[in-house]
Amino acid sequence: MTTTIRSYLYGSVLACSLGFPLAQVQADSYPAEELNYTVAFGPGGGNDLMSRTVVDILKTHELFNGQNIRVENRDGGSGAIGFNYVAQQRGNPYHATSTSGNFLGTPIVSNTGWTYRDFTPIGLLARDAMVLAVRSDSGYETLQAFVDAAAEKNMKIGGTGAAGPERVVAGLFAKAADIDFTYVPSQDEGGLVTSLTSSSIDAIVANPSEVIGQVSAGNFRLLGYSERERSTVFPDVPTFTEQGYDFEFSLPRGVVMPADIPVEVRDWWVETLKQVVDTPEWQEYLTTKGLSGNTIWGDEFGHYLEKTDADFRGVLTEIGVIK
Amino acid sequence: MGDIFANLGLGLSVAVSPGNLVFLIIGVSVGMVVGLFPGFGPAAGIAILIPMTFGLDPTTAIIMLSGIYYGAMYGGTITSILINTPGESATVASTLDGYPLARNGRAGPALVMQAVASFFGGTVGVILICAFTPALAGFAASFGPSEYFLIVVLGLLLLTTMMGDNLLKGVISALFGFAIAMVGVDAVSGAQRFTFGSPELIGGIYFVPVAIGLFGIGELLHCIHIGQHRQEVQKLSFSFMSKDFWPTIKDYTESKFTFIRGSVIGFIAGVLPGSGATIGSILAYSIEKKVAKDPEKFGQGEMRGLVAPETANNAASAGAMVPLISLGIPGSGATAVLLGALLMWGLQPGPMLIVNKPDFVWGLIASMYLGNVMLVIISIVAIPLFVKFLDVPYRLVVPVIVILCVIGTFALHSSMIETWLLAITGVVGFGMKKFGYSPAATVLALVLGAMAENTFLQSLIIGDGSLSIFISRPISLFLSCIIAGIIIMAVVLRARRGRIRRKAVADALTQVNG
Repeated sequence: MTTTIRSYLYGSVLACSLGFPLAQVQADSYPAEELNYTVAFGPGGGNDLMSRTVVDILKTHELFNGQNIRVENRDGGSGAIGFNYVAQQRGNPYHATSTSGNFLGTPIVSNTGWTYRDFTPIGLLARDAMVLAVRSDSGYETLQAFVDAAAEKNMKIGGTGAAGPERVVAGLFAKAADIDFTYVPSQDEGGLVTSLTSSSIDAIVANPSEVIGQVSAGNFRLLGYSERERSTVFPDVPTFTEQGYDFEFSLPRGVVMPADIPVEVRDWWVETLKQVVDTPEWQEYLTTKGLSGNTIWGDEFGHYLEKTDADFRGVLTEIGVIK
Repeated sequence: MGDIFANLGLGLSVAVSPGNLVFLIIGVSVGMVVGLFPGFGPAAGIAILIPMTFGLDPTTAIIMLSGIYYGAMYGGTITSILINTPGESATVASTLDGYPLARNGRAGPALVMQAVASFFGGTVGVILICAFTPALAGFAASFGPSEYFLIVVLGLLLLTTMMGDNLLKGVISALFGFAIAMVGVDAVSGAQRFTFGSPELIGGIYFVPVAIGLFGIGELLHCIHIGQHRQEVQKLSFSFMSKDFWPTIKDYTESKFTFIRGSVIGFIAGVLPGSGATIGSILAYSIEKKVAKDPEKFGQGEMRGLVAPETANNAASAGAMVPLISLGIPGSGATAVLLGALLMWGLQPGPMLIVNKPDFVWGLIASMYLGNVMLVIISIVAIPLFVKFLDVPYRLVVPVIVILCVIGTFALHSSMIETWLLAITGVVGFGMKKFGYSPAATVLALVLGAMAENTFLQSLIIGDGSLSIFISRPISLFLSCIIAGIIIMAVVLRARRGRIRRKAVADALTQVNG
């Protein structure tokens, strides 16, 4: 059962009727019009919260030169519909949207008509990396102990979704550690956490924010973190890389705009978003959501998307989800 | 015990701050209203109000959103009783005797009784939360995939045996629901099933349009089919002074144990992860019917048949807060939305939430207590207003409900596919009603189908393909035994009933022949 909550007809109806003329942009006068910030998911979800945090900061710190910013939720098809809408705005510098896992995942598993290449990457503001968690009473004190035990028995590793980022991290880890495992997909966060609390499985791959409550309660232990650098929010969790398992994987929580926008506009946004991530509001957002704040900008963000997309496709091909 | 009072005192001091009280009143009132509209349930109501809470303090926001959730349990029953259309899935069981009561001219007592029963169930639920939260959190944590699956099986089994007049048609209805639940991404392989390339179907078929179609449109079509719109309007007027308005002493004395049974069953169902108010109310109804000495009265307008599901769904909506807050496990669409709201505010559900944010947790619990007091007053005072619905000629009611159903469906995701789905399931619902199938079994199977399939496959993966996982874990074994017991009982009872019937036929034949 999907529990995505989507609503909102008013804004979207209005926007459709306003056929947007392709404005010629002078870099020095940017921004001269209202910005349409599309959220490709329903209100209340992770992508929605990040988008609204960015927009709130742009407004309260008056970073968008006094022009209005309109946030719209256009959800459906795991992001397919909203991202498609923004991709259609090719060349229009007054559209932006936030990326999350489905920005890469949805086009891989279904025929959406767009990919990350149909957007101009602005900046990666935060990363959603994954942790490997075990029960505190499991006896696996370190990642090494877990890997050693995995030589003896087939580990059952759980994650949310059959072909999501959790599956990719589990696959990349098993490859790097040269162990066999069985992946047990849960349909939601709650089911994932209890599949471990109830001792049904051996370990789970999860977003840090999903398990941090269990960790502080002393029930779970975190063995590895899937970014190359340690998380800015959970600096105590060692990365897989520093423990000798050479891989990294995280989901992009960044801002992208339609393809073919003037390069001056892109640079304007890179500079502006650099100011956004410097605010205390942004730091607070990272802390409450358990996201890591290692940023990258412009073309470098584009390369990151390319690499992450390739990893994603690689693992999904290996397990037979895509051909 | 001292702890509980200290905690509740802290909670009350948070809940009665003027700002929180105002938003609590807004929340429960909105809840009653969204509960009234068929197909426009608390999940949609909460989702739509989330953006409006952005400027509020997190505790205030969650107090208001929770008010919508349990307020809808009160409002949903009013339409269940008056127009036989459950405002949301947790009040499906309330139509079974609530509507016959209204048809028998006892709409007033039924509405008062549902408010009292809701209040009783809700209050017992809140008291039980205070007493058992820590222990129950531990219990809920030991539920893994195999236990989830068995709970779903238990819920569906009880549903089909309860709808029991024709077991075969009940099972067919449930299987139809499972078939619809197959649409979307296969949880284990990630492959798409029956989506026909449409991105809107990747996430599966959402149960709300189907429920509105089967219960709302289907029911209307059936009423037109049997010519209800040609009937004279029965003028119903209610006065607080009138003796007919209030439930009789007999209504209370007959159902005094029903109150307690319903509350406890509902609370347990609410606490069990993934079951919630819908299963709780159906469970309470079927158990009430089973323990009654006169089960044939149920379905004909029996007060106990209304009290049981009403106490249960409100106790369950309180109970559902336990796994939601202590584990982050939602038991229904509405609690799933609430979970989204909690996470949005950085209130990470988990065993540590109650330790780190006692003012939030106990403030919320205390606000639920106050909210229930407000709701019982609102619903009794406003009954004469709600009963006016029955005065409107049916031919005028029909178009209004159709419009509400269509708007409610379209407002969910602005999806034309779902709006067409509403029309199709409306026609299907009419056929089901006419030929004696069970739309409730279909909707529940649809709601639980994905979870049943997913947890079953997870269990098999964990058990390396062996079914023994369902008996090798203690709680699973316990649940499996209960399920086996119910099946054996159903088969034995059926066989015996068949024998009695055959014997009766044989006796009758002997008499005729003799």
